Amino acid sequence: MTDFDNEYDDLDGHTIDELSDYLDRGRTPLDPSIEGSAGCRIALNSLERLRQISKSLVEVDAAAEAPRNDDWLGGILESIGREARAGRDIPLLPPSPRATLSVTEGAVRGLIRAAGDRAGGLIIGRCRLDGDVTVPGTPITVSIDASVFWGERIGETVDRAREAIYSALLKHTELTIASIDITVHDVYFAQVSDDQPDEPGDGSVSNEGDVL
Amino acid sequence: MSAAPYRFSLEDADDRILAGRAADGDTRAFEVLARRYGPLLRAYARRILGSNNEVDDVVQETLITAWRDLPSLNDGSVVKSWLMRIASHKSIDRIRARKNHVDVDDVDAAQPDRLSPHAVSEATSLHEAVSQALATLPLDQQRCWVLREVGEHSYDEIAEQMGIPASTVRGLLSRARRNLMTEMEAWR
Repeated sequence: MTDFDNEYDDLDGHTIDELSDYLDRGRTPLDPSIEGSAGCRIALNSLERLRQISKSLVEVDAAAEAPRNDDWLGGILESIGREARAGRDIPLLPPSPRATLSVTEGAVRGLIRAAGDRAGGLIIGRCRLDGDVTVPGTPITVSIDASVFWGERIGETVDRAREAIYSALLKHTELTIASIDITVHDVYFAQVSDDQPDEPGDGSVSNEGDVL
Repeated sequence: MSAAPYRFSLEDADDRILAGRAADGDTRAFEVLARRYGPLLRAYARRILGSNNEVDDVVQETLITAWRDLPSLNDGSVVKSWLMRIASHKSIDRIRARKNHVDVDDVDAAQPDRLSPHAVSEATSLHEAVSQALATLPLDQQRCWVLREVGEHSYDEIAEQMGIPASTVRGLLSRARRNLMTEMEAWR
């Protein structure tokens, strides 16, 4: 027991560090000698308040940050943009037997995002092409993560996006699409406020694609 | 097929969507994430570094590493804490590199282990009092406190990152806790 612990009125033989460890354990198992001490309960309240304030310090600092000039971020984005995520090469039918032609997996993902977003009512997240895209004729399953806007009929919206993505893939690639599975993980309110993130939807709605 | 109006911008998209798109190579989605969390990363790095120096470098390195490693982040909804974790590592790397080059950590040594009483009596809120009190602690105490209470790192993680024994981390956190609680009491 140090002078400091004495300063903290009467902790009934406990120390602040012990109390902090006790909080770290989520006050379990319940310690009657701590919970039964008025001095300890006061100190626990102070510790909890200190933690809450500490946790929010950086967020408060961040809110007071002076806005950065865009050149700084622009420079970073430019340097990362050069490291594009090409992924696998997906062959296209060559114009002549001596030529080869391919499109990158990254470009196909971009195509999927554009087609899905443009279909309206949802926003496309991560997408995955399962199957060996480098071998023509291999059945490919497209798995897509998406959020649907509040008020949209999920089923209709997903069907519309799936059709749009399928048409785009048919038009611009020679992939053999086995299915397009769109999983809706969240529902969005149209006006999203900046400071409050959305509440996640009531579980994810999985809408498995029909075999096309 | 009649398309619904396209009334959604990436700025409104949630972290999971943005992290997923960025993992797939969408630099616009990454830009939105960088703007959303840039100020937080700067503030966090500043608290760990203990100064404004190198904050830009740390955040830049954090974003470049994040872009490179995003494809391996399976749950995009945790991208905020994931970014903060990268930023804390980059910050500590800087501090350790500095210590390897400069023998005397004069800043830390010059500061008292215990604050003078009422150092924060001018603060207008308890929040400000804690903020000011934290800023006057020895840097090692500040760092451990921020990594523990903001970054939610374990004692062992902090020890490993800072390259000091876990018992030392425990001691630094104990002193930081006492100093901050004393200031909180003094402010009232």
